Amino acid sequence: MKMTKNKILLYLLIIFFVFVTVGPFVFTLLMSLKGPAEGVYTNIFPRDPSLDNYFIAFRQARFDEYLINTVIAVLIAVPLNILFCSLAAYPLARMDFKGKNVILITIIATMAVPFQLFMAPLFNLVGNMGLRNSYIGLIVLQVGTAFGIFLIRQSYLTIPKALEESAYMDGANKFQVWFRIILPMIKPTLITLGIYTFTFTWGDYLWPLINTTDNEMYTLSIGLAQLSQSFDGSNIKLISAASLLTTIPSLAIFIWLQKYFVGTTKGAVKG
Amino acid sequence: MTKSFRNKFLFSSALLSILLTGCGDDNVDNEGTGDVSEDAESDTEESSELSGEITFWTASLSGDPFDGYFEEIKSDFETMHPDVTVNIQDTPQNEMEQRVLTSLTGSDAMDVINLNPHYMANIASQGGLLNMEEYLDDDIGSRFVEGAFEAGYYNDELLALPWYLTTTVSWYNSDHFEMAGVENVPSNMQELYEASSAITEETGNPSFFQIINDGNTIMEKMVTIANGENIVENGEAVFQDNADILEFFDTVQTMYSEGLISQQNAEGSIGAAQELFMNENLSLVEGGITFLGPVESGAPSVYEAAKAGLPLNGDDAPMNIAVMNLAVPTNTEYPETAVAFAEFVLNAENQLEFAELAGTVLPSTVESLEDDYFTDPGDSPKASGMQQGAQALERARVLIPLTENNFELREVTKNTFVEVMIGDISAEEGLNQLAEEWTKSFSNSDIDVSF
Repeated sequence: MKMTKNKILLYLLIIFFVFVTVGPFVFTLLMSLKGPAEGVYTNIFPRDPSLDNYFIAFRQARFDEYLINTVIAVLIAVPLNILFCSLAAYPLARMDFKGKNVILITIIATMAVPFQLFMAPLFNLVGNMGLRNSYIGLIVLQVGTAFGIFLIRQSYLTIPKALEESAYMDGANKFQVWFRIILPMIKPTLITLGIYTFTFTWGDYLWPLINTTDNEMYTLSIGLAQLSQSFDGSNIKLISAASLLTTIPSLAIFIWLQKYFVGTTKGAVKG
Repeated sequence: MTKSFRNKFLFSSALLSILLTGCGDDNVDNEGTGDVSEDAESDTEESSELSGEITFWTASLSGDPFDGYFEEIKSDFETMHPDVTVNIQDTPQNEMEQRVLTSLTGSDAMDVINLNPHYMANIASQGGLLNMEEYLDDDIGSRFVEGAFEAGYYNDELLALPWYLTTTVSWYNSDHFEMAGVENVPSNMQELYEASSAITEETGNPSFFQIINDGNTIMEKMVTIANGENIVENGEAVFQDNADILEFFDTVQTMYSEGLISQQNAEGSIGAAQELFMNENLSLVEGGITFLGPVESGAPSVYEAAKAGLPLNGDDAPMNIAVMNLAVPTNTEYPETAVAFAEFVLNAENQLEFAELAGTVLPSTVESLEDDYFTDPGDSPKASGMQQGAQALERARVLIPLTENNFELREVTKNTFVEVMIGDISAEEGLNQLAEEWTKSFSNSDIDVSF
């Protein structure tokens, strides 16, 4: 009886959290399906569901152009961030050198610096390097991130040193040990970092806006902002449709890769 | 081995840095911007024909129907001046200020910017905007609505020209008015209280919303209510003794406590008011003529019932004018071309076409306002707003001067007004507290201003 009560409470709690987290998403979906003659607040469910808002939003926010830019930016940012972070994190986890801790603390400390503080110098630096209106320019903030370095370093630390030592004894060099032994063992972390990088790059707004002086290089999040900040107010149904269009790819990737979140090196070494 | 590796690494890093720096755009001027006045003089001497590649930043004016309009503007100007290339880029309004300020630190910034007066003041106070007077005819002011043209002045320099305008009107749900038997839009606080009480009694919902925004609307309202009397004298706030302003604060507090004003009013944004209006949880509000924008698509039946009236403070009180400007940054390479382009965008013909496309704004040129489109706009809800707005324009001007402490004043005004509204302090205490804060702010910033 007690168990049943606890279970009911648990389920109620779960339903509550599902409602709080998924509810706004469902409400947005329902609003996006309402036709032009229907008020957004008149009924919860659309009387005559239509996908018109999706087509209009797609055209008005220039989603086709901006989607290509965003996808290219993501395709560059994700592998580069994984590569640079895993390279940078390795010596911080496994090598002994002077100032290692200072470097690590400095890298972590940069996470606490607000972007607005270094936005102007970064804007100038990137401009002087000729990266304005370029895909590399769009993703400079997403490559070699302090968060990524820290995340991977922590993951490296969980791998038993004995694994590396046996690889060295078998004649592998440092690069081979890193690439063939260590990296495959932290695959879940690499995928986690990939998902984070994907999400941050996909939704990055202020930097792409600041660094882009050509509309052709805008990304989806800027298109969405343009749609929602229309000078005479916004069409909520269109914004709902555009928000979902922007979110769907991100959500799909997350669902597809979430199984890799779980993974350990348990059992890699016996004894 | 370690030393050798370190040396190689250092050498590679240095080489990489040089290569990356070398990839920079050759067109980028790393030497800074130079003196604009000198540039202007030499430009004038060398050639009377305009030239150069300029970039125009619009604010939240992308997509249909504006893309086609701006393409035409660009093409017409380039045809008139074959040596000029115009690039047009749209920036979301909320990020415009930050984007302009960041871009001004570089050398590849824009040449013509679409700004609202608050952003203009901040950018101008940092020396970011060009004094346009030396590039314009002496009679330039006569082409524009006086109050709108004056909004472009900052420290006696003409830093911007007015583009499109909105002014305050009242919006009401005519169905609710009819249900409650209210026939006219209130024109003073007592009438507002009575009308709101009658409507709330009938609908069972709050009926009025006082838009606060970031405090600016309350500041403007105070000047409107003072109706010609200064609320600040030589940097000292004097509004605490004004009986009409006290009545405004007091009535709002009473209406809130009696449920005539929604609790959501504490947030105070125009977006919150629009949402309540669409929900039919609001019957009367003062707002710009763009207020109905989201209502038309979000609540078509409410839109049909919406009507515009004169602002709620009678027909002779000064009203605020909200001006979207065009300005030219100081570091433009082509000041003459940039100013000429701004003038072109702002000519009567282009402004009329723009206002017709936008549907909810007024043009700033006197000639465009004389068009039938504004004198006889039809009977749609938006058109009624346009007509009332055009009428209010006659007594509209920028009510709050652009001072450096403007942000501080807005913030303290919002906080104090909300405290009064929700009943934390009395109206009298609130006004005294606010006056003290304003005077302190003017004194700290050493600003000697009267308005």
